[in-house]
Amino acid sequence: MASEGFLGTAAPRHADLVLLLEIAMGLALLIGAVLARKGKFRVHAWCQSAVVLLNLAIVVLLMIPSFYVHVSRNIPAKLGKAYYALPTAHATLGSITEIAGLYILFAAGTNVVPQRFRMTNYKLWMRSVLALWWLVLLLGLASYVRWYVPGVFRK
Amino acid sequence: MPRRGVWIAGAATPIVIAALLLLAMPTVTANREQSSTATAKVTIDNFSFRPQTLTVAVGTIVTWTNGDDIPHTVVSDDGVFKSKARDTDEQFSYTFDKVGTFPYHCSIHPKMTGQVVVH
Repeated sequence: MASEGFLGTAAPRHADLVLLLEIAMGLALLIGAVLARKGKFRVHAWCQSAVVLLNLAIVVLLMIPSFYVHVSRNIPAKLGKAYYALPTAHATLGSITEIAGLYILFAAGTNVVPQRFRMTNYKLWMRSVLALWWLVLLLGLASYVRWYVPGVFRK
Repeated sequence: MPRRGVWIAGAATPIVIAALLLLAMPTVTANREQSSTATAKVTIDNFSFRPQTLTVAVGTIVTWTNGDDIPHTVVSDDGVFKSKARDTDEQFSYTFDKVGTFPYHCSIHPKMTGQVVVH
């Protein structure tokens, strides 16, 4: 039996933990962007890389299993229901964003990506992914509210 | 056939049919009594099971109906029964054929708990 959450909603503990971690990571990415504007590129690189990798771990260990059990079996048949549509949109956009984040991480921080596949406009890529990341975060927040907060959406 | 025989046969046939129906009726009633099973209902509403504690006799079929606009499950704490996620207005039923107390919860929302007491 899953443990009760600590945020006072109907969510299990792991969902509350993921919510707080994701909000913290979203804020960390904004701080990382400010660091880049101040020219502190090394700290910026560490900050953004840590967020992208930690998020990957959370997605693989917690989000994908939960999505598989509760949502994936009901799509596309029940996509008309908000409580399936929101996490599906979150998962789809989130996957694209995480892959784009990993691409930036490897293209900008390592020599793994061949030269011809590397981006040329770093700022555009990074700002686009940051904007997408926050959109995904908001979709995740909406999914949390829809699934775990009683009384918000009564039948 | 003589005329008198025809009259007797005509009168006897409905009597025989009526007698056979009378003989059959107690059997039908008995069968109905054997097949009737007690049932009880639990409603899921606003992230809670209502009633939270349900007391039933052995052999009762308990049916949970999800009245919320969000999926819920009905999972026994001891692993005795387990439903898949039930959407709005979907049901899950389980027959309690043993005496005891059966606590259960929603695996999606662990704060939602209830119990069935079988005597």
